[in-house]
Amino acid sequence: MPPLVVTKDRLTRVLACEAHQVVAEFGARPPTIAMACGAIVDVLFRQLVTVGSIGEPMVDGLAALSVDDHQRALVSWIERLPGPERDQLHAEVDRQAGGLCRRWPSLDPSWLPRTQEAFRVPVAGGTVELSARVDLAIGAPATDEASVAIVEVKSGVRRAEHRADLHFYALLESLRSPAPPFVVATYYTRTGELDVDPVSEELLVGATRRTLAGTRLLWRLSHGSDPLPTPNSLCAACAARPDCTVGRSRSDAQAGGGLPGAATP
Amino acid sequence: MRHLADVTGILLEPAGGVIDDRLRDRLRDRLASGIAPVVERLPAGEPVAVSLPLLRRARARPDAPLLPEEAFVWKPAFARRSLGLAVVDACIDGRFPTPMEAIGPVSDAAVAEWERTGWRTFHWEPWFARLAPGARASVLAEALGWATAVWSAVEWNRLPRRPRVGGPADQWKCPAGRVVILKARSELRVLLWGDPPGSPGAGTVVRPPEALVSVSSGCPGGTWSEELAYLALVAGLRSSTGPVPARVVGLWPDAGIHAAVDMDDAVLTAAAKRVIATVDAVVNARQSMVGSC
Repeated sequence: MPPLVVTKDRLTRVLACEAHQVVAEFGARPPTIAMACGAIVDVLFRQLVTVGSIGEPMVDGLAALSVDDHQRALVSWIERLPGPERDQLHAEVDRQAGGLCRRWPSLDPSWLPRTQEAFRVPVAGGTVELSARVDLAIGAPATDEASVAIVEVKSGVRRAEHRADLHFYALLESLRSPAPPFVVATYYTRTGELDVDPVSEELLVGATRRTLAGTRLLWRLSHGSDPLPTPNSLCAACAARPDCTVGRSRSDAQAGGGLPGAATP
Repeated sequence: MRHLADVTGILLEPAGGVIDDRLRDRLRDRLASGIAPVVERLPAGEPVAVSLPLLRRARARPDAPLLPEEAFVWKPAFARRSLGLAVVDACIDGRFPTPMEAIGPVSDAAVAEWERTGWRTFHWEPWFARLAPGARASVLAEALGWATAVWSAVEWNRLPRRPRVGGPADQWKCPAGRVVILKARSELRVLLWGDPPGSPGAGTVVRPPEALVSVSSGCPGGTWSEELAYLALVAGLRSSTGPVPARVVGLWPDAGIHAAVDMDDAVLTAAAKRVIATVDAVVNARQSMVGSC
C-alpha cells in the first residue's frame, strides 16, 4: 500500500476543514493570473540563483515552464489569455522580476545553493511520508551544527499559513538531517520583505504537534471516515460550498459583515 | 539506515567476505534456469530489459509493471544525472571548487565539443543548445541540485583513491531462449580497503574490492537491500574475471538517508530471485495486454 503523503497544503486544508481538504484533492484548480505570476516568479528566482541573471522575464519564465510537464496546462492557458489580461500578467511579472534582480543578493557558491530541493521523510514505518519542495536551501548539512537555511519565495501577499509552511519545512529538514536548519524564511517578491524565523526547539515542537494533528485527520480520511465540515476563512472560496450548509452559513455571515476576515481566494 | 553524513565512513570500511567465481556461476545458472521457462510464454524475438526502476515498479505494482509507451521528449530531469555527474567529476578533479561554479562551464564545454566533433557524449547536447535561456536555466538548476546533493554527501579528500564517476551501464544478457538483458548503473565506483578476491597466481592481475554508490530520489522502499544488490549482481555477471562488487551504498538525498549492503551468497541470491519475479510480472503484463486487445 502506498504511503499517506502529507504536504504543507494538505495539512493547511485539513486543519481548516476536513470537507475542504476532500474536495480540494480532486481536480486541478483553474488557473488564475496570480497563479501564473507565482509559477513564473518561482522559475525566474531559480534562474537568478543558478545563472545569476534574468533576461526578458516573461520570455524566460514561459521558456522555463514549457520544459516542465506539470506546467503544460498553465503555459497553454497563459498563451490563450486575452490581450489585456496577458498585459496585466506581463506587467506584474516584469515588476516582480525587476525587484528580484535589484534586491536579491548573489549567493556565494560555497554555500551550495540549490533550488526546488525535495524533502521526503518516511515516518511510522513508512506508512506516512512527509513531503515538501523548498524554493531555496543553502548550506551543507552538518552533523554537529545547524548549517542549513531554507527560503520560500512568495509572489502574493503575506498570509498566516506561510509561517506554518516554513515551520513544516524546518521540521522535515530536522528529521532528514543530523541537525535542524538554523533559519527558515519567506521572501515576498512583491515587496522585497523577508520574514525570518530562527529555528528553535519551541518552533520544532509546535510544528510537530501541528503535523501530528493534521496527519491524524488525513489518515482518518484516507481510511474512509466521513469528512467533518468546519467553518473557516476558506469557506467562501471552497468548491464544496453549494452543498455545505456549514460553509454557506459561515460565508453568508462573512459577506454580511458578521465575521471578520473575508476569505482570500 | 543512517544519515548522509556517515557515507564516507561506510566507504572507508574494509570489504567483508569474498565472492568467489563458484557463486557467480551458480547465480548465472539460477537466473537462466529461473527465467527461461517464464519467457517461453513470450513470442520469439520479444526482448525483456530489466532495470532497477523496473524492479521497483514490479514490486510496487506487480499487476502493472510496464509504463505506458510515450514518444520520447527531452526534459530537464533526463539531463540531470549525466550533467550532474560531469559536474561532480569536474569538482573531484579540482577543476572547480563547487558544483555551482562548474555547472555553466561543464555544460558549455559539452555543447562546444558536440558542435566541434558532432559526437554527443551526453546525448542531450543538441536539445540543450537549442533551448531558450529560461529553459536552459531550468536544466542547469535541476542538474545543479542533483550534483550538489552528491557532492556534499561524501568527504572526497578522505577517500584513498579517486572514485570512478558514472561510466557506462553494466549489462548482462541472460541465456534464456529469448533476449533478456539485465541493465544496471551506479553513480560511483569506489575502491575499498581489503584483500583482493582470490589468490594472485603468476602473471595474474588482481583487482581490489570495490563499492558501488547508487543515488535515488524519494525514500528507500522496504526491499532496498535487494535493489542495491541487483546493481552488484549485474556488475558481477557482466564480467567473468572482474570481482563482484563487495558493497553497494544507496543514497536517497531527498530523505537524507543512506544504506549499505555487503554482498554475500544470501543477498545476491535474493536479488536473483527478485529478477526472476520481475521478469514474471513483465511477461504476465504483456500477456494480459495481448489478451485484452
